[in-house]
Amino acid sequence: MLDMTNRPSGLANSPATIASVRDLTVHFPSKRGMVHAVDRVSFEIRDGETLGLVGETGCGKSVTGRSFLQLLPIPPGILAQGTVTFHPHARCGACAGTGCDACNSTGRRPAACPSCTGAGCAQCNGSGAETVELLRLPEDRIRRIRGDRIAMIFQDPGKALNPTLTIGDQLSEVFLQHRTEELLDAAGIGPEDRGLAARLLGRLASQRNGSIDNLLLSLPPLRGKRNLLLDALRNNVAAALAETQIANPYQIIDRYPHELSGGMRQRVMIAQALACNPDLLIADEPTTALDVTVQARILELIKDLQKRRQTSVLYISHDLSLVRRICDRVAVMYAGRVVEIGRTDRIFRNPSHPYTRGLLHAVPTAATKRGQLMAIKGTVPELVDPPPSCRFVGRCPHEKALCRSKNPELAQISDEHSVSCFIHDAAGAADAPSFDEKTQ
Amino acid sequence: MNAMNDVSSKVDRRADDVVLAVRNVKKHYPIREGVFQSVVGHVKAVDGVSFDIRRGETVGLVGESGCGKSTLGRCVSGLSDPTGGGVYFGLSKAEVARLDTLLADGSAAAQAELAQMERRHRIDRLEGAAQRHFRRNCQMVFQDSFASLNPRQLVIDIVGRPLRVYREASGDALTERVVSLLEQVGLGRHHLYRFPHQFSGGQRQRISIARALALDPDLIVLDEPTSALDVSVQAQILNLLYELQRDRGLAYLFVTHDLSVVHHMADRLVTMYLGRVAESGDTNTVFETPQHPYTRALIAAKPDLNDDEGRTMQALEGRVPDPARPPQGCRFHTRCAVATPMCGWEVDDVVRWLESSKGVFDALEGVDRTNAFDAALRFSSEAAARNLASTLRSDAIPAAMQQALEDVTVSGGAVRVRFREVPEVELTERGPGHHAACLINPSHSSSGAN
Ligand SMILES: Nc1ncnc2c1ncn2[C@@H]1O[C@H](COP(=O)(O)OP(=O)(O)OP(=O)(O)O)[C@@H](O)[C@H]1O
Ligand SMILES: Nc1ncnc2c1ncn2[C@@H]1O[C@H](COP(=O)(O)OP(=O)(O)O)[C@@H](O)[C@H]1O
Ligand code: SF4
Ligand code: SF4
Ligand SMILES: [Mg+2]
Ligand SMILES: [Mg+2]
Ligand SMILES: [Zn+2]
Ligand SMILES: [Zn+2]
Repeated sequence: MLDMTNRPSGLANSPATIASVRDLTVHFPSKRGMVHAVDRVSFEIRDGETLGLVGETGCGKSVTGRSFLQLLPIPPGILAQGTVTFHPHARCGACAGTGCDACNSTGRRPAACPSCTGAGCAQCNGSGAETVELLRLPEDRIRRIRGDRIAMIFQDPGKALNPTLTIGDQLSEVFLQHRTEELLDAAGIGPEDRGLAARLLGRLASQRNGSIDNLLLSLPPLRGKRNLLLDALRNNVAAALAETQIANPYQIIDRYPHELSGGMRQRVMIAQALACNPDLLIADEPTTALDVTVQARILELIKDLQKRRQTSVLYISHDLSLVRRICDRVAVMYAGRVVEIGRTDRIFRNPSHPYTRGLLHAVPTAATKRGQLMAIKGTVPELVDPPPSCRFVGRCPHEKALCRSKNPELAQISDEHSVSCFIHDAAGAADAPSFDEKTQ
Repeated sequence: MNAMNDVSSKVDRRADDVVLAVRNVKKHYPIREGVFQSVVGHVKAVDGVSFDIRRGETVGLVGESGCGKSTLGRCVSGLSDPTGGGVYFGLSKAEVARLDTLLADGSAAAQAELAQMERRHRIDRLEGAAQRHFRRNCQMVFQDSFASLNPRQLVIDIVGRPLRVYREASGDALTERVVSLLEQVGLGRHHLYRFPHQFSGGQRQRISIARALALDPDLIVLDEPTSALDVSVQAQILNLLYELQRDRGLAYLFVTHDLSVVHHMADRLVTMYLGRVAESGDTNTVFETPQHPYTRALIAAKPDLNDDEGRTMQALEGRVPDPARPPQGCRFHTRCAVATPMCGWEVDDVVRWLESSKGVFDALEGVDRTNAFDAALRFSSEAAARNLASTLRSDAIPAAMQQALEDVTVSGGAVRVRFREVPEVELTERGPGHHAACLINPSHSSSGAN
């Protein structure tokens, strides 16, 4: 884990966070009313950390994750309120990207605010860091951030890959755009031609026609290096695939997504996201279709990326044992809200929301008798026009009248640990619920 | 009562009945290339797998992505026909014994009896009522709920379809049956008139399970059924699957990569590697005394809620080899940490090693194989050939591989390599009902056992 507190940055106030979500609220209209899919969700992702986002199906994890890249289905969805701010990284000025103390040897640092160049102004909230509000960014700018500064691994690999392009063509695009330096090195293109060559490669990537064998490659300075470049491209793509332990990367390159198994498609998508060298990686159940040995490998790759580029990760998962192992902090979501957030060891040693406790008891183990897993009773409530009450009422073994009349707010219960439940919030009050008391 | 029920009433529902017997099943997909799409090889997705599923039991099937689990599941449920071997449905214990005798016996009389048995029990040879009986009694729940649910159908039509096709219910009765199925999987009446895309991933998987339950089958093949679900819903579904099994004698083939889930759910476990069974046996026995290094690697990679916080997860090195050219001897030898000289080292191991060391591979011009163990590798220069030969004698390659080399000779630009020829490693018994396909057998060396 990285030390976030005293890292010199050259900016007025080094932002310890790479992104913050504030009061994010997303609604979906339905026949019976408004579905409150995500309801005033707030959390921050610290620079370089892995934040886990766990919770029951339909609780809004994916909607939250997708909001970072404007990938919400709007319409029909409605962005009712909230902001998602993001501080992109840039090459470290102190070491020109080679790595120094100022950038934790990653060569990357929060970019300076363009309007105050780091001194701090109203636009960057005094932080001096470039601050982008992702939810309302114009289409052309969010497209430049997508897959570049922020990459996403989707839950459903079926929908994330382009069915009409071969795996090789989809990955080539990423390398042409984001790993230009490595390609130019491999092709032996000298410093004097770098700028122009890089621009040409960028143009190639943006053509999105799946065929890189193109006129642009016959222009100087690329002319004569054409084969070297194509070789380098093919080798890099194959290496990226090989890293995810896919068999026969060179053959996979020429296949189409539908020719691969679900697990293989998921790995292609992971290779694609990691190749982008993003500042922030949103990983939405990235390893669900993978078996454990590959999962362990993918997690190593993500960790490598974090070491190399100071990448922060929002890791969405339903696997509590995995999240416990890899995340610095964990946020537990229930019915569109964050109900508990804090340092991983705090959450797992001292789960303090009745829902979190329920989740931990539901994990299957060999010791539990079959048929006797502690499933949380009931089902996730319909999120249609929810009343002002705790969202967990009806399923909570400790609820009291107070829980049905008011919505508890997220409040800190100890250092690095916050919970939204009246057991803590109204502790001691006459009608407050308590863990000692079961109400059925 | 209609004809199907007559068939099912004839089946004696005894506990040791084998709902399904899988015998030497192979599924090879042709690889086609060129303008004429000629077949240049085969992906051996499943390559000789045998096991039984008994009435009312859960068999867990684990293994890496691409090792053939889903392909096997599709063969077992009759969604695709095997290219070799057979899947037999509804045999008694005695009939399975007879089947095994017949399969081993080449005589004309045995073949005739086998053919007769296959018409009644082999799922790709069934006809008419017997086929309908099998179809309704074997259901499948898929990994990808998105692909398996028709996006243009409402939930009531998706879950109600099997009931309508088999004329089990119609009108209001059908609606009520669907509501009850939905409630069994934790959904409700308010979900009847929605489309699949209006649900989250986990909710869609519950719809698939409700559909599979509709006809009250004997066997459900569950392909990663809970991998998209969070633990609380998973707990409900695992409890539900257990209750259904207890009440109706339902059997499951449970395909998953989550070892915590199989450890909890499965009576017996089958680990599969590259189209073949690596190990099979009673679940607790396999977890406590895994016999195959691959099973041990799977267990080491699995995070568990009860582990120490400091424990790291162990990735398995190397990648799954190409199933079109599975390794000789033991298929796991390319990644096995304890491989011996007898484990199947072959020419392809040299080629694989060359592929990862770029300079030498570029100089490779061709491989003239006598067989998998013996070949001449042609290089563009004698220097490159000498380079390879000296590497093969150095410790840059695994010691076990080096010891398996019987000959390395350089002549001009070519290197002749010959490895010890070994047969494919077969499953051997490690205890009652416990089998593993590994040459290392600890119970052999410790003389005290039994
Ligand atoms: N396109 C849509 N139209 C209508 N409702 C939607 C849409 N997408 C999501 N929802 C609803 O929003 C809520 C949150 O969905 P989301 O996909 O974020 O859940 P999730 O937490 O990611 O669940 P899972 O663990 O199953 O992936 C759910 O109630 C879902 O039904
Ligand atoms: N329709 C197909 N055509 C060609 N090859 C296939 C097809 N379906 C699967 N395969 C190949 O067969 C092997 C096993 O696939 P699969 O059974 O889906 O694996 P698993 O379920 O264990 O992840 C893989 O190498 C896969 O690429
Ligand atoms: S005790 Fe009350 S506030 Fe806390 S989770 Fe239960 S219902 Fe909600
Ligand atoms: S036979 Fe056993 S020791 Fe040899 S490679 Fe296979 S698993 Fe390893
Ligand atoms: Mg999701
Ligand atoms: Mg599969
Ligand atoms: Zn620096
Ligand atoms: Zn500023």
